[in-house]
Amino acid sequence: MTSRRDFLGRAASGAAAMLVAARMTPAQQRGRTHDSALVRDTTNLFAMDQGAAQPVRLPPKPGAAPSMTDVQRDELEHHIHCQCGCTLDVFTCRTTDFSCQVSPAMHRDVIALVKGGYTAQEIIDAFVGVYGERALMAPKKSGFNLLAWFTPGVAVIAGGVLLSMWLRRRERREPPRPAATAAGTASGPIAVPGVDATPEELARLEAAVKGDGDA
Amino acid sequence: MILIGELSLWVALLMAAWSTTVSYAGGALRRDDLTASGVRGLYATFAMVVLASLGLWTALLSRDFSVEYVASHISAAMPSVYIFTAFWSGQAGSLLFWALILSMYGTIAIATSRKRNATLVPWATGTISAILLFFIATDCFKANPFTRLDFLPADGRGMNPQLQNPGMALHPPNLYLGYVATAIPFAFAIAALFARKLDAEWLGVVRRWALLSWFFLTIGIVLGMWWAYVELGWSGYWAWDPVENSSFLPWLTTTAFLHSIMIQEKRGMLRKWNVVLVVVSFLLSIFGTFITRSGVIESVHSFAQSPVGPWFATFFFLATGITIYLVGTRLKDLEAKAELESMVSREAAFLYNNLLLVGIAFTVFWGTIFPILSEWAKGTKITVGPPFFNSVNVPLGLLLLALTGVGPLIAWRKASVSNLNRQFASPALFGLIVGVVLFALGMRALAPLVTYALSGFVAGTIVQEFYKGIRARQAIHQESVMTGFLHLVGRNRRRYGGYIVHAGIAMLFAAFAGMAFATQHDVTLATGQAFETRDPYGHAWRFVSQGVSTSSPRDRQVQGVGLETFRDGKRLGIITSEKRQYLDTQGNALFTPITEVGIKYSAKLDTYVVLAGVRNTDVAELRISFNPLVVWVWIGGYLMMIGGLIVMWPQAERRRPQAGYAAVMPTRTEPAELAGV
Repeated sequence: MTSRRDFLGRAASGAAAMLVAARMTPAQQRGRTHDSALVRDTTNLFAMDQGAAQPVRLPPKPGAAPSMTDVQRDELEHHIHCQCGCTLDVFTCRTTDFSCQVSPAMHRDVIALVKGGYTAQEIIDAFVGVYGERALMAPKKSGFNLLAWFTPGVAVIAGGVLLSMWLRRRERREPPRPAATAAGTASGPIAVPGVDATPEELARLEAAVKGDGDA
Repeated sequence: MILIGELSLWVALLMAAWSTTVSYAGGALRRDDLTASGVRGLYATFAMVVLASLGLWTALLSRDFSVEYVASHISAAMPSVYIFTAFWSGQAGSLLFWALILSMYGTIAIATSRKRNATLVPWATGTISAILLFFIATDCFKANPFTRLDFLPADGRGMNPQLQNPGMALHPPNLYLGYVATAIPFAFAIAALFARKLDAEWLGVVRRWALLSWFFLTIGIVLGMWWAYVELGWSGYWAWDPVENSSFLPWLTTTAFLHSIMIQEKRGMLRKWNVVLVVVSFLLSIFGTFITRSGVIESVHSFAQSPVGPWFATFFFLATGITIYLVGTRLKDLEAKAELESMVSREAAFLYNNLLLVGIAFTVFWGTIFPILSEWAKGTKITVGPPFFNSVNVPLGLLLLALTGVGPLIAWRKASVSNLNRQFASPALFGLIVGVVLFALGMRALAPLVTYALSGFVAGTIVQEFYKGIRARQAIHQESVMTGFLHLVGRNRRRYGGYIVHAGIAMLFAAFAGMAFATQHDVTLATGQAFETRDPYGHAWRFVSQGVSTSSPRDRQVQGVGLETFRDGKRLGIITSEKRQYLDTQGNALFTPITEVGIKYSAKLDTYVVLAGVRNTDVAELRISFNPLVVWVWIGGYLMMIGGLIVMWPQAERRRPQAGYAAVMPTRTEPAELAGV
């Protein structure tokens, strides 16, 4: 029978052989240019597509006045998805530290549309018209997307109903336990001064004081 | 040392393969010698992975830029502490880190369980080794941290400056420590299924490791939130990004498990459910790593799109399939041994708590993967962001908060009307008062109002529990309040540690609700100009620009602005924010410019200043935000950690003869359980 020491020795020799073989494999070492070797997995943050912004422009409405305040505009931008590759909305992305050039461009489009008298919904529709549904921070509540919105609620409600039915079915039918009196009995728990508690609660306190209970 | 490390990684691969094979063989053939060899194989794998890790650390600390991983993740000028933490900042290193932690955990878990869980050891060892085999193989064949460059760069690429932050140095390892710890309960659950030993034998070890996982996940998540808040400059700490979500998922299911396992311990119920939760927690950890590492879902964190994705997907589906098979073929062994006595009981409350936690987990999972489903089904790329997660999760979260107060107070088995009245009257009244007072003060937003009322209710339940416990100790032992408190907690760590965690949760909810009242202002200030506004509490603020300064320390160019700050006419000091461009040793720009946020913390709100840009050398473009109650997020997080530590702290088994109040209660009622201990 092979001893442990023999086994470890052989394993190490095998590994060394594999290592040498791996080093001699051209594909492992040679096919990489200087640049690609360092570009891969380096920035530690997502790859930003700085050229993703597309113009979202509409002619101003006749006699247009700004359709909303700056605060309302910022709120609207929370519902428009930045296209730089992040998962943030335009407002959040342009005010973060990712040095994104896409969200400021989208912000400028929003400002122009607001000045052009377009409502929040019209502005959102304009962005969806250019970028598609990806311009939204949450899917529209229609068609296939209804699955996204309603599945969690349906699942939790169905789970609640099933759980309640399961609990009801498993609930044991038995005569109620004799109730303990609030003041205790001759052989029952005694009252603790200053603590207004039932005998059951006193028992729990006793257990707590003794340290044999848990949460 | 680097070569030894590389060699050790390959030896570790062989060792893990050996340990997997002979451990499972030992379990199947009931051969102790094979099992013993498998266990030693696991220990040897640990030793080899330690050597491999030392090899990588040596390469990093010696700044050996001929190693691709080193050249890609550090630069010569970086502080040593971040060179050390660069070990887990890239893909290959983080996979090795996974293996390091898992082999360490596995060694500890098996070494401490060999006698107590003898029948489970071969299967658990085999499962741990199989997981290790996967990670080491992925490292060896798909993301080898020792791969050499065929040239020697003068300097490395360095680490993104945003990641050179204490929070980011600690956040990933804590998450990994949490993720990986789910593998141990998983291994023992699989072992229990294989061995058909589904009684209480596996519960102790599983609970300890699940708790450890929960503890580290909590720290990791809170640190990640803190880093995002202080470093990214977007004035928030949670964006429902897929990678954030994937760290939250195992936390939710582990939290559910830590509650439901109490029902199995006390009543022998929920055996199937607990196995499912343990397995799902592990699979979600793998899912989280897969999401982070595969780039399959768009995320600000998906920084390493690489060929490991298919490997992870294969492993994920394989583990899922095997588990479903094992659970499916052992359903009879998992039948409950007790019945529910009443719908009005702690068991029922915990089950609803589980429903909500798993419901939230499902919602988060569903929202995270729905873009993939949409693209697959419709060919349309969509985004599922905060509007979706907030609208679906807020109601569920509020229900969960309510149950956080209900669960600990309601009695095991069956709560009486008197139990309900006495336990809930004061906390419910307190919660109601909180809600009414805030309404009277003008708060009209429904979700925050409900959140504060429920947080008040939960706080009331916790205070009441401590009050009663301390009063009881005072009555029996004549102790002072502080001594009574310390003894109460010290002798009932699971229970009162749990309450402290609940206090942290209530605090977090209250702090989250505070952000509903955050206000932000875009301001442009030249030197000497002032901006005046009011915060959400109505205090008058005045910010006076001290001008834009520029400097060029060794590795960066800096533009900074200082704002002299006054609240209600009282000077609070200067808040500074900077824009930094980091440079390499040749003076070339590294990465994109970053912002150093200026934050003035206080219990009521944070004043958060971001320098967005500079015009004409002295005009600062700023964003000033008032973020109410944010500091309570961090305090709540600390409380949860402290509570978790107290719960985890080993407690000697005490089996004293019953006396006093407990002795006189009817034996069948198990007084401590009946009354809700």
